[in-house]
Amino acid sequence: MLTTSTMEPSDPADALLSRAQGGDIAAFEALVGLHQDQVFALAYRMTRSEADAAEIAQEAFLAAYRNLTEFRGEAAFGSWLHRITANQALMRLRHKKVVGQVEESMESPTFNERGTLVDAVADFARNAEGQALDAELARAIAQATDALPEEYRRVFLLKDVDGLSYEDIAQLLQESVPAIKSRLHRARLSLRAAIDGYYAEKE
Amino acid sequence: MFTCRECIDSLLDYLDGDLSAEQRAHLDAHLNACTPCVEFVKTYRATTRLCKEALQRSMPTEVAARLGSFLRENIHPAHAKQGAPVKPKG
Repeated sequence: MLTTSTMEPSDPADALLSRAQGGDIAAFEALVGLHQDQVFALAYRMTRSEADAAEIAQEAFLAAYRNLTEFRGEAAFGSWLHRITANQALMRLRHKKVVGQVEESMESPTFNERGTLVDAVADFARNAEGQALDAELARAIAQATDALPEEYRRVFLLKDVDGLSYEDIAQLLQESVPAIKSRLHRARLSLRAAIDGYYAEKE
Repeated sequence: MFTCRECIDSLLDYLDGDLSAEQRAHLDAHLNACTPCVEFVKTYRATTRLCKEALQRSMPTEVAARLGSFLRENIHPAHAKQGAPVKPKG
């Protein structure tokens, strides 16, 4: 039976961190289990390599363990883990020449001289609403993301897919927040056009 | 009132809630009068959601197993910086 004198935080994830900070290895392993998919996915998307992503995950969780006492709350632990994973992925990319498998391309909307949108806009959001994403669309999105110029691809992945803050991304990429926002917007426009093209072809 | 170009150029700040009241009023006025831009906003917003879903990935079982062994070999309570158990702050 629970007693009121317990010092455990009410959030189960916070309680897990608290136990891990107290030296409970099983609690740390449970924390790893909570985050391993996101850490692996982030590293894989950035490096496009399963082997690199596996090593990055090992380094990131080991570093997390060594800094465990510095976290106040599991949310802080999670965002730190994502930042360190992104940083390690970027460091690896700096040492490697990334071989582009596809031509880099960016698409953007077309306007006339008065600034009026001239593209036909179909509401694919309605088609996609409430449905499981079909595998063909997922492949089209993966290809379109791969086709983004690398500096746009990284910003898009870190912000929109992995949920890092603008400030964290700016620091990781040594760029200004306005530059990060501008790239994110252009990446979104390009991916929006790719998804639009996918639905247009299906019709 | 904004043009379509100004409307689309402002979408990121609009969705982040970072437009000034004046800019937001210009953008809302444009959206009230421009169906293509309304559709554009919906699809711009849906793009992030669809991409996030499409690019998810789980750690493969064998990678997770290797990670587990790696951590068991490399972590010991003494390696954590605290040296002594930390009591949660009440």
